[in-house]
Amino acid sequence: MDAVINRFVFLLKQRGARISPAESLDAMQALARVALHERDTVRAVLRCTLIKNLRDLPLFEELFEQFFTLPQRTTPDGLADGPMPPLPETTLLPPETIAAQEVADGRPDGDNAHEDALDIRDYFDEARMVTRFNSHQDPNDLSLGEFGQNLVLSRRRELLDQTLKNAVQMLKARRLKNAGRAGELNFDEAVAALDVELIADAVTDLLDELSDTGVDEALIARLSGRLHEGIAQLPELLKRYLERELALRQEPTMIASRPIRPKPDFRFSEQERRDMSEIVQRLCRRMRGARSYRRRIGPQGRISVPLTLRRNMKYEGIPFQPMLTRYRDEKPRLVVICDVSLSVRNTARFMLHLVYNLQTLFERVRSFAFVSDLVEISPYFDQLGIDEAIAAVFEGDLLDTEVDSNYGHALARFHNRYLAAVTAQTTVIILGDGRGNRNPPQVWALEAIRRRAKQLLWLSPESRASWRLGSCDMPLYESVCHQTEIVRNLQQLGQVTEKLLHRSVVRP
Amino acid sequence: MFESIEHTIARLREQQYLCDRKLATVAFLALQMQKPILIEGPAGVGKTELAKVVSAALGRSLIRLQCYGGLDEAHALYEWEYGKQLLYTQILRDKIGRLFEGVDGLHEAVARLNLHEDVFFSERFLVRRPILQAIDSPEPVVLLIDELDRAEEQFEAFLLEVLSDFQVTVPEIGTVKARTIPYVIITSNNTRDLSDALKRRCLHLFIDYPDEQRELEIVRLKVPELREILATQVVAVIRRLRALDLRKAPSISETLDWARALVLLDADALTPALLEETLHLLVKYDRDTQRVNEQMNWIAEPIQEQSQAPSPAASVGSTLSSPPLPPQRPAEPSDLEQRRQEHTARYFTSYRGRTDGRTGGV
Repeated sequence: MDAVINRFVFLLKQRGARISPAESLDAMQALARVALHERDTVRAVLRCTLIKNLRDLPLFEELFEQFFTLPQRTTPDGLADGPMPPLPETTLLPPETIAAQEVADGRPDGDNAHEDALDIRDYFDEARMVTRFNSHQDPNDLSLGEFGQNLVLSRRRELLDQTLKNAVQMLKARRLKNAGRAGELNFDEAVAALDVELIADAVTDLLDELSDTGVDEALIARLSGRLHEGIAQLPELLKRYLERELALRQEPTMIASRPIRPKPDFRFSEQERRDMSEIVQRLCRRMRGARSYRRRIGPQGRISVPLTLRRNMKYEGIPFQPMLTRYRDEKPRLVVICDVSLSVRNTARFMLHLVYNLQTLFERVRSFAFVSDLVEISPYFDQLGIDEAIAAVFEGDLLDTEVDSNYGHALARFHNRYLAAVTAQTTVIILGDGRGNRNPPQVWALEAIRRRAKQLLWLSPESRASWRLGSCDMPLYESVCHQTEIVRNLQQLGQVTEKLLHRSVVRP
Repeated sequence: MFESIEHTIARLREQQYLCDRKLATVAFLALQMQKPILIEGPAGVGKTELAKVVSAALGRSLIRLQCYGGLDEAHALYEWEYGKQLLYTQILRDKIGRLFEGVDGLHEAVARLNLHEDVFFSERFLVRRPILQAIDSPEPVVLLIDELDRAEEQFEAFLLEVLSDFQVTVPEIGTVKARTIPYVIITSNNTRDLSDALKRRCLHLFIDYPDEQRELEIVRLKVPELREILATQVVAVIRRLRALDLRKAPSISETLDWARALVLLDADALTPALLEETLHLLVKYDRDTQRVNEQMNWIAEPIQEQSQAPSPAASVGSTLSSPPLPPQRPAEPSDLEQRRQEHTARYFTSYRGRTDGRTGGV
């Protein structure tokens, strides 16, 4: 049972759920306390012990369905002695969990890791995948056609035909025995795909022999014997085939679950969201923790000796009423100005994501977007979900995104209209590459912002080396800012955050 | 004691709490494994209620800790009783004076006093707050930590020691181990993500709004005096309200309040007029009320159907699949403009006056 749960947890993790070893241990302990033959109970137990995030729930449900659906499977009669150990020879198994079945079988836990691994794979819903990979609608026809071509070389074609047809018929008959049922392991396609190979091999051999010695009855008998031998190995071949297909299937899922490049529709993967919110939370915690010098009298904190003495003068200086004070936490204010022009389109999405996260975490954030004109976007980000908000910005409803970016104009506009948002407690973060298309850079506006703000921080997606190329005003702006950092992805943002934390952006 | 999952369901039902198997499994396991339950879900689906009925079903007393912003260990774990300490010092002045008889010099006096220091930092002067009470109780209790998401993240860290090892460390005294293991239920309204460390230590349960059938059962169980037709109508209307994009969707508790109100009003059947009159029991925001009024015809459909078709079963079937709503834009431009002004007014009032008349210049 351990192995089964481990494998299940492994598959969940592979698909992006976060599960700690302690949680898998919990799951096993919990399973030991309930009746394993009730599918819903097992599901509830696993869900409450393993899945702690709502967003992982659909994944769990889907995988549980796949993983703990016992295939109804017919083993090839009489031939399945060796190659397929994990399944008992019963043809019909009630739809219960493997865990239950394994307990019933009295299998020692984790006796053979390799075997267990195979075992679990067998319980996978291979049928669907096999169907997906098999393009032939009716491979039996194909094999017969091929066979027919080859038989042209033979003088005793009827007999040969007969023998090989028999073989195919046997397979066909077996196939009919388990006509597929919904959601259960459906072997017909797999078998069909296999006999193409088998028969092709057999026919090649046959042709060799034909060309060497001619055809007689004994040979035909030998050949048909060979064929039967091949069929006897069918389960083993089948297993290998399925394993290969399973490997094929797993790889694309792994890739699919982690999109490497941003999708064009500006949506964010769960992973990106998580990483971003972690980084911003770290930043936020640090900024929250910033203390001011002002103290607050209250029910909590440390005893303040002067205040206590003063208050207790009336009790002859006996400290009857201790006075407690604590440092007041300063509330950080942020103003974020983000360039969303075409030149930074690749990183703008990332930057807006950052803005969005900052806005959800900090109480007092005002965010602005600009290309040439500048608009405040905080209300949109307050109200809409991240994907809609970013789409709204890029679709050009709020501002014209097609024009050339004009930093000077945008900064001057901010200065004229929104400078009041910047106070001595405000940290201003500007996100952009500083390419103003040879428009006047209006550095004075930035200087005015800096004078008012506590901190002015510029995050540029472009490396310093390329600032010299073209019309980039970054060198001008950099001299004004308290700090300029290169950030174009999450990793760099993480590094910058660390650096900022060390230097403590928000000093009291 | 819960003996099995079925037994758990039955015991909770005795306390008038209907639960599905999922919930019962978690409630049963929590007792068996001595692990806390973390319940997440929208407000009013019976998270807190579960703690109450579990305590009643197990015959344990309930200790409740309501979380709020700024909650700290002094309110949750323990606190020193300064006043009592000082009072005792005053009363025992003579005794303390006698302690120093025959002592030479200040140095020796401090050394002497040092020997008796722990008198004033003993459990005698410790105020037990809910968590310490819970683990120090001679009888096992049910500890409800309500709406943990309202407290700060630092507070979660305080809880970790209690939740995994059932002990509390008081620096002056040492570690207080649990005498009995409490049955811990933590609820969260999901306004923020709780830390992974906390989630790891808990069994996780998500309670959502119940399906139609179960909600109907709950209404019947809790408000038995409500007429059958009315009950189905109530549930159908509530389901439609939830389908709207409301800021606060009506929860089970609101369904029950409404049902009780209808009993008090002695209503025979739900009419659109009655619905409008009692709407404030269900919808708590002005914007929501507007939205409901816009969609009133659609919401009132089950009521009209009801009056035509008397069989309650038919009505249940007809409302199972909610008809699609007319698409609504999440934010109208004018609305956004208004919000923008509100936002400015809320956070930046003191600077507002200065925005006007400021001109740019070198």
